[in-house]
Amino acid sequence: MSMPVPLTNTTDTTDTAATGLSTWQIFISRFATHKMALISAFVLVLMSLFVFGASIMETLFGLDPTQVDLDHRLTTASFTHPLGTDELGRDLLARLLRGGQVSLIVGLSAAVISAVIGTIVGLIAGYYGGRMDGLLMRLTDGVIALPLLPLLIVLAAVDLNKLGLSESLAQNPDIDLYRIIFIIALVGWTTVARLVRGASLSVRELDFVSAATASGASDLRIMAIHILPNVVTPIIVATTLTVGNVILLESVLSFLGLGIHPPVASWGNMLTGAQELVWTAPMQVVYPGLAIFITVIAFNFIGDGLQDALDPKATRTSD
Amino acid sequence: MIRYIAGRLVESVFVLIIMSFVIYALIGLMPGDPIDLMIKSDPRLTPADAARLRAVYGLDQPLLERYYNWAMKALGGDFGNSRLHIRPVLDVMGPFMTNTINLMGLSFIASVAIAIPAGAYAAIHQNSRADHIINLLCFAGISVPVFWLALMLIIVFAVLIPILPASGVSAINGGGFIDTARHLVLPVITLTVFSIGSYTRFMRASMIEVMRQDYIRTAFAKGATRGQVVRRHAFRNALIPVTTVIALSFGTLFSGALITETMFAYPGMGKLIFDSIMGNDYNMALVTLLLATLVTLLANLGADITYAWLDPRISLGGGKSAKTKGGS
Amino acid sequence: MSSTEFLLEVRGLVKHFPLAKRGFFGVAEKVHAVNGIDLTIRKGEVLAMVGESGCGKSTAARAIANLYRPDFGTVHFRGADLAALSGRALKSARRAMQMVFQDPFGSLNPRLHVGTIIKEPLVIHGIGTSETRQAKVEEVMARVGLRASDATRYPHEFSGGQRQRIAIARALAIDPELIIADEPLSALDVSIQSQILNLLKDLKDEAGLAFLFISHDLGVVNHFADHIVVMYLGHVVESAPREMLFTHPHHPYTQTLIDAVPVPGNGKRSGSSPQGDVPSPIDPPSGCPFHPRCPRATETCKITMPLLEATERNADHKAACHNPIPGPGGSQ
Repeated sequence: MSMPVPLTNTTDTTDTAATGLSTWQIFISRFATHKMALISAFVLVLMSLFVFGASIMETLFGLDPTQVDLDHRLTTASFTHPLGTDELGRDLLARLLRGGQVSLIVGLSAAVISAVIGTIVGLIAGYYGGRMDGLLMRLTDGVIALPLLPLLIVLAAVDLNKLGLSESLAQNPDIDLYRIIFIIALVGWTTVARLVRGASLSVRELDFVSAATASGASDLRIMAIHILPNVVTPIIVATTLTVGNVILLESVLSFLGLGIHPPVASWGNMLTGAQELVWTAPMQVVYPGLAIFITVIAFNFIGDGLQDALDPKATRTSD
Repeated sequence: MIRYIAGRLVESVFVLIIMSFVIYALIGLMPGDPIDLMIKSDPRLTPADAARLRAVYGLDQPLLERYYNWAMKALGGDFGNSRLHIRPVLDVMGPFMTNTINLMGLSFIASVAIAIPAGAYAAIHQNSRADHIINLLCFAGISVPVFWLALMLIIVFAVLIPILPASGVSAINGGGFIDTARHLVLPVITLTVFSIGSYTRFMRASMIEVMRQDYIRTAFAKGATRGQVVRRHAFRNALIPVTTVIALSFGTLFSGALITETMFAYPGMGKLIFDSIMGNDYNMALVTLLLATLVTLLANLGADITYAWLDPRISLGGGKSAKTKGGS
Repeated sequence: MSSTEFLLEVRGLVKHFPLAKRGFFGVAEKVHAVNGIDLTIRKGEVLAMVGESGCGKSTAARAIANLYRPDFGTVHFRGADLAALSGRALKSARRAMQMVFQDPFGSLNPRLHVGTIIKEPLVIHGIGTSETRQAKVEEVMARVGLRASDATRYPHEFSGGQRQRIAIARALAIDPELIIADEPLSALDVSIQSQILNLLKDLKDEAGLAFLFISHDLGVVNHFADHIVVMYLGHVVESAPREMLFTHPHHPYTQTLIDAVPVPGNGKRSGSSPQGDVPSPIDPPSGCPFHPRCPRATETCKITMPLLEATERNADHKAACHNPIPGPGGSQ
């Protein structure tokens, strides 16, 4: 029987390279169709500018977040104090901006640390599969289902001295920050773990992972060089979604007096003891909570938009 | 199935024991111990007295021994006395539990009754204006800080338009059913907002996913009306993953209850936990935290079992079920 | 007993995959992917494994490459039994064996530079220095027809055929002796297939590379293989040098495969495909696995599994059949 005669040269003559938009461009265009995400991104950028430019704002408007002025407590909006003053006479707007710095920094740091923990858990579960996966996912589900707040309260109330921390370390004013970031990260990693695990499970099936295995690559190498870079997008989505939750946790703990302590301002602790203020100065109660609300909902919208943009077939199932 | 339940029960007991140890250790790490508090209230106690008292109460023993002693007593039903309430812990908890059950129960019913239909509606009318609004409201619901929401509700309904009470479970001198109901309105709303937001989104997503399946399109092709398809197929199947989510969210509900009760000075378990932790009431804190963990574990177990029972694709027991499509 | 005349010697390779148990009390079902196969490859020899999809050839290839741990059997590569090794010993024993996969779009990590991808085997085995590795990468890229400047580009910038070249370059980087190629041409356009096939042939001729070449296309195999093994439902049904297989196939299944190859010019748009469907590897038929579709099946075929035995003509030509196709002379 006769067979087709093969060509004798080996250079490509008819193959054409892949064309089309780069993934970045496709992503941007998809993200842009999600209106709320776009608005949220804009709002967040604006807010960050204000919050992190707090010192500039203070010089510009002559505000001081720490200056106590007992003669002018709980005033409403005025020229010198655009949002009024708090119960110690301190300027509310300035405290709001400074508090924003703390809340956002805590939120982002805790979210990033959670992301690291969650990524490691998710990678291991997704790559090894089987029993390891089952075990880790049970653990994750267990943490998700725990009554978090009571446990966080206990964790936050722990006396550091009893843990063996030296006296000077325990009195360090930054310890507040580290402690709250630590305990939030302890429970905040679950969303990332879930999403990374799912993505790792599918990446693991791709041939280039088999190629690396066949070449003799170690598990660690495969996870770090082959799987991790290909699950970056779920990591980003999950982290964005985590930031909102983390900010809520910090604000609740600070509100209860267990997170950031005054005189350092955070949006949460600006509302401590506000149950009395509702009768005397209700507007004061509005601003910090509103700030938290706007920030959290913005991150949630952006996370949702990212999820849609990066995987248009997925329905909105984020938790 | 029986075997599965038994296995999970054993697992839950195991987790409970571990958690009890963890919580015991954590409570022990809280500032001060019972003797310190006694010293604070009675300055005549000398350090020698304090040391002696510590030995009497077994507070100088290592952690594992103390835990063991506590556990043994607990298994016999003796959970110690509440320091703040000067009564045995178990006696104190009763009325608080009732209040919380009322609060969480009402909230649960309300959130499910609203979220499930809303989610289904949004899914059926996907991308309509109503869907967009529902979605926005859901996002708002899950993003709002619970304690701030409580404050806002108090401001609007108790301060600006004083029609509802801002705190407590009933008026000072008793009060009837209506009075109790009035006191529950704001707390229930506060607690329910997050749940509604969360459940609605899940229901919507689940419903959309189900409606995309081939068997739904087949039903339409066979001539069923939309209503029939929804009722008979889509709705039921969409509910399956949602029930798991709802059962798993029990822990979150509890956390929300803690805040809500604290904000409204509502004497429930959540407030009890919080007050006992902040007030160094070790026995009470220990027991209430354990109870919260236990109930959450049971909810988890319930979720797993319900899911396995509802989803016909998972067979947890019985012999070989009929061979389905062969071939890899 | 490991013979050193063979580069690769596989004996009794078995690989089954358990399916999820049906119920706590149920019995686990299994996919019987590979059911005891033997094959040998000498240095510089090309062995082709052919069969329809689902016959287990891909699984066998991966089990040989130790991507799956074999359930039973031995895989002697350069004298060492890979199936019995693990860890570092396995890693070094496998060095001389590399793999090329079917899907040019899935077999390269989209996040890495092409140069990094090709260099990886060298890095994994700790060969050479940064400079020598770079030089090797360039050498190997030139060998497969890629430009050195391509090394800093990403896989998605290349076409399917070029990506297979990259995959081949990666396989060549550590100077292997055996390349296991799992349907390397199947995902490419026909015109490109011949280019890549010629590349492989050149590599065999110039570098003395041996190949385990998996394919479902007998037409392609006819141009490249020295020896052909025909698989069906995890069993080897015929094994013969190339010429002999085509001039005198013994097993009826082989005949159907040959008939299925489209022949240009005789009016048929495609060859006739074998009748019927491939049965499920979960629940294979009794006796000879091919008997339900076999035009020459006898009663014995339904009951007894035929063994792979040498035919009368030639010890190298083996078939597992109770009723093989008679030779052109009328006798077997």
